[in-house]
Amino acid sequence: MRRRLPLLICLFSGLFFTIQFFIPHQEVRRLYADGLRWLIVVATFAVVLATGSLINHHIRKLRRRDKDWSYSLVTLLALLGMGIAGFSTGTRPGTLFNKLFLNVQVPMQSTMFGILAFYIASASYRAFRARSKEATLLLLAAFLLMLSAVSFMSYYFPHITTLSEWLLMVPNLAAQRGILFGVFLGTLATSIKIILGIERGWMGGGR
Amino acid sequence: MNEFFVRLSKIDRRYIFLLVAVSVIVPLLFPFHYPTRVTRHTQAVFDIVDQIPPVSNPILISFEYGPSTMPECHPMAYAILRHAFSRRVRVIGITLSADATGLGEQALSDVAREYGREYGKDYVYLGYKPGVSAVMLSIGEDIKKTFPRDFYGQPTSGIPMLTEVHNYSQIPLVIPLTGSQTATSWLIYAGARYHARVADGVTAVMASELYAFLQTKQLSGLLAGLKGAAEYERLVQQAGYTKNEGKATRGMDALSTMHLVIITFIILGNIGFFLSRRSAKKGERP
Repeated sequence: MRRRLPLLICLFSGLFFTIQFFIPHQEVRRLYADGLRWLIVVATFAVVLATGSLINHHIRKLRRRDKDWSYSLVTLLALLGMGIAGFSTGTRPGTLFNKLFLNVQVPMQSTMFGILAFYIASASYRAFRARSKEATLLLLAAFLLMLSAVSFMSYYFPHITTLSEWLLMVPNLAAQRGILFGVFLGTLATSIKIILGIERGWMGGGR
Repeated sequence: MNEFFVRLSKIDRRYIFLLVAVSVIVPLLFPFHYPTRVTRHTQAVFDIVDQIPPVSNPILISFEYGPSTMPECHPMAYAILRHAFSRRVRVIGITLSADATGLGEQALSDVAREYGREYGKDYVYLGYKPGVSAVMLSIGEDIKKTFPRDFYGQPTSGIPMLTEVHNYSQIPLVIPLTGSQTATSWLIYAGARYHARVADGVTAVMASELYAFLQTKQLSGLLAGLKGAAEYERLVQQAGYTKNEGKATRGMDALSTMHLVIITFIILGNIGFFLSRRSAKKGERP
């Protein structure tokens, strides 16, 4: 029963959400809207599960004194601190939670992301070499797109923008569309396998 | 000369870091005011917002960026909000990313204060709701049931601006500002399922993925990265809706200069690579 019940719920929900698309009846629409709100509730529980999993993972690391365990301590303290701030003062503007977010998390995360620019510059200098025909093509395309991203270049030389847009609209699009078809057909096939209970990885025990 | 380029191609990366830092800091301290050409995709977003009648159905802005993608997406939010609020176009703000909750509130309240717009009449902020695609679909059924309360805990059924708003049919434009795959999800769930008009504001790296939807006209317009934000700021300024030079315009000076530095590095690196390869080939000859 422990395995059958989730599979039955999955089968029923999957079939219902597929079939409802073709039945514009008022009752079906109501059930569909209720189902969507249920999905939002389930997604909320996923946040609880994820938080629990994060806490377990880091407590385990702390207990074992694994490598870099001090970072786990910082993570847990930050989680606890933000949690206490959020639950005690709320999340509105002016609260401790909001101040911590805007004045600690935002600068820290922006800095981490900003550091990427330095590594990208260094990496592009060392790795972006015309070693083969393919690499030369990639280099030329990147070169052109970067030039079009320089505001005054696209202003004074509008052909650069035209050419970079052609790159994006023709060769890029051809490849992107192929990838998109593949991704969506794959998603469709996996969805059917999940609904029919062939793919059971989501239950946590593999196939 | 050859030796110079070869040595240059093996330069210590700390010098590169220093040059990158200078190329970012100097334009931020002393703006160069580079001219910008507006792309048709940015113009399309501006035109749609510009054609929405004042004090009518609201546009929906979904803030879906965190602090890491904030430098690209936050200026977009400010520019669009300045455009909307200056014309009294109503705005519904939501967020599908927990990270963006505070940022969305900040953008909405800052620009509303700038133009003297009133909460509940001119704009509303419904806050964060987990579930991404379920939320997008649920708004198509009933926005007030999807968000029974706004960010401040007020019941949405009592907000005057939302009285006549039920689903996407009353929302003339949906603008997700995002650095993630949700840009495509909005097209699938809100666009294809409920025929909502969608225009995306995304980070530059995301933009290339969305050209397929621009071509099919499933996407009505696109703000691509900081450049897109700067172009929108320019349009808003040119139309006389604001006198403020936005953050993206200032950021574009730094970004453009840094791009030029990287391009120069790539050229120099390749010259060094070819010269060292030629020397190696010569050395191999008997």
